[in-house]
Amino acid sequence: MKDFQPIADRPAPVQTVGPVAWIRENLFSSISNSIVTLGIIAFLVYYIPPVMDWAFFSANWSGTTEDACVKEGACWVFINAWSYQFFYGTYPLEEVWRINLMIVLLLIVIAMSFTLPKHYRMKASIAAWLALPLIGMAVLYGGWGGLEVVSTDLWGGFTLNVFMAAASIIVAFPFSFLWALGRRSQMPFIRSVSVIFIEFFRGVPVLSLFFMGSVMLPLFFAEGTNVDKLIRVWLVLIFFMSGYMAEVFRGGFAAVPSGQYEAADSVGLSYWQKILLIILPQVIKISMPNILATFVMLFKNTTFLLIIGIPEVVQTLQTALSNSYWLGGHALEGYLFVFLVFWASCFGMSVLSRRIERTMNTDKRD
Amino acid sequence: MTAVKSSAEAQDIIVIENLNKWYGNFHVLKDINLRVKKGERIVICGPSGSGKSTTIRCINRLEEFQEGSLRVDGVEMIDDVKNIETIRKDVGMVFQHFNLFPHLTILENLTLGPIWVQKKPKAEAEEIAMKYLERVKIPDQALKYPGQLSGGQQQRVAIARSLCMNPNIMLFDEPTSALDPEMIKEVLDVMVELAEEGMTMLCVTHEMGFAKKVADRVIFMDGGQIVEENNPEEFFNNPQNERTQLFLSQILGH
Repeated sequence: MKDFQPIADRPAPVQTVGPVAWIRENLFSSISNSIVTLGIIAFLVYYIPPVMDWAFFSANWSGTTEDACVKEGACWVFINAWSYQFFYGTYPLEEVWRINLMIVLLLIVIAMSFTLPKHYRMKASIAAWLALPLIGMAVLYGGWGGLEVVSTDLWGGFTLNVFMAAASIIVAFPFSFLWALGRRSQMPFIRSVSVIFIEFFRGVPVLSLFFMGSVMLPLFFAEGTNVDKLIRVWLVLIFFMSGYMAEVFRGGFAAVPSGQYEAADSVGLSYWQKILLIILPQVIKISMPNILATFVMLFKNTTFLLIIGIPEVVQTLQTALSNSYWLGGHALEGYLFVFLVFWASCFGMSVLSRRIERTMNTDKRD
Repeated sequence: MTAVKSSAEAQDIIVIENLNKWYGNFHVLKDINLRVKKGERIVICGPSGSGKSTTIRCINRLEEFQEGSLRVDGVEMIDDVKNIETIRKDVGMVFQHFNLFPHLTILENLTLGPIWVQKKPKAEAEEIAMKYLERVKIPDQALKYPGQLSGGQQQRVAIARSLCMNPNIMLFDEPTSALDPEMIKEVLDVMVELAEEGMTMLCVTHEMGFAKKVADRVIFMDGGQIVEENNPEEFFNNPQNERTQLFLSQILGH
């Protein structure tokens, strides 16, 4: 009998690997492809130098007032002078450590959600996430343990965008999960209530919801009660977000194979054990990219709060642009700055979510 | 009726009487009558769509039925959460596609039931789990995830997962149909061992070698009915029904 002789691996042919092969294959694989490549190069060569010149070489970097902007480039002095307001609104300077503390706490909770030892990661991070909005409100508002009260009228800037978005998604998360469960329910009443809720908040523009929150919602409260405007807007964001996330979760539920439900049933788990131990972890894993996309959408939508006069970052920018000491027309710098701050945050979240997806991906882990 | 065991049926651990099931207007199970004694090994075969899987899935209520009655270990299968839970604790099930929980390690897959359903302490549950993993000969895979195991290994884990709940009855729904030929044997070996230990087994399978070796009774179904049932020797050598003969000639013919 003959022995089975495996053939040893050989390296790939030289023409198919390496940088030269990559360039040939991706940039100059055909005539039309080469023309497009050269066109793009020409475009970049023509436009990049003036943009670089405006943004960096001829830009004004130092100084504190409008008068410091003498060169024809960008006036970054404007951003610098207003940076405190852009980030913290009118929050008092001596209390600003509270905001920074909350930012740090937020980052710590994010980090612990996927660095803690596995056997108590789930419980610990869920508890931390749910506690975060409450701690945030207590710390930022104050009025206890010697902390001065900082009225919500003074909250503002980019950190307000971050906190509103974070506090909304955290509370919306469990709600949206329940709505999605309700939509799958066998019971007609629960199902129709869930469908009506979800479709209402998905079908109505977020701007009109904000107006409802600031103008109409007070009409529903008992006479004499005065619920803070920020809380009302927070409620609106939670409802809006949970409507969208419910649909994300619904997709996740549908993607979990029915065999998982059957296996959980046959092991003897109760309904809630089945949902929480077996189905939910898989739903979250499947839905992670969409959860993040929804969150990024909500985060960017917080800039719409300027419509109802909440001093988030774009509103603050408009205030700065109309300030009588800064009438030099710095809209370009200002909006570019907001653009960069949002882009950096969203890109960071994107990277983070890919990292989380990898951590959760147990299907092919070696 | 509550979950009380009656001693009169101590012999027959499963009693199915005149069971009928419809999917909408489609009559999938017709007048199924089946009594299974404790320790009996039954193999159910038949063409696809004959209702064999549906029949055993009724036994632990993965499928509902509209007419007839079904008792497991004296507990009536009715629309009552308590009865359903009692029966499910008594009945283990192994699926065609294993249905392991992909987000949990092998060990966690096995300890889930003992910890959450039987409320056993974690250490004890892990001890039980390791005992059964050794029985299916893969204790070294305990900390891996299902996705890292071969199909045959996954199916053996699935069997161990059911055994951890200490069931009196095991249901197998085409346990080897999704496996490569090289892996079928390792799963069948575990099942044969289980049968030899006296476990009550209902097995939907086309592995006729397995049927000949361990079954006390072979049941042939077609069109939602039980067409023929007999001991394996009679069933294979001397099938009574024309339909059974045709089926056997087709699956044994090559």
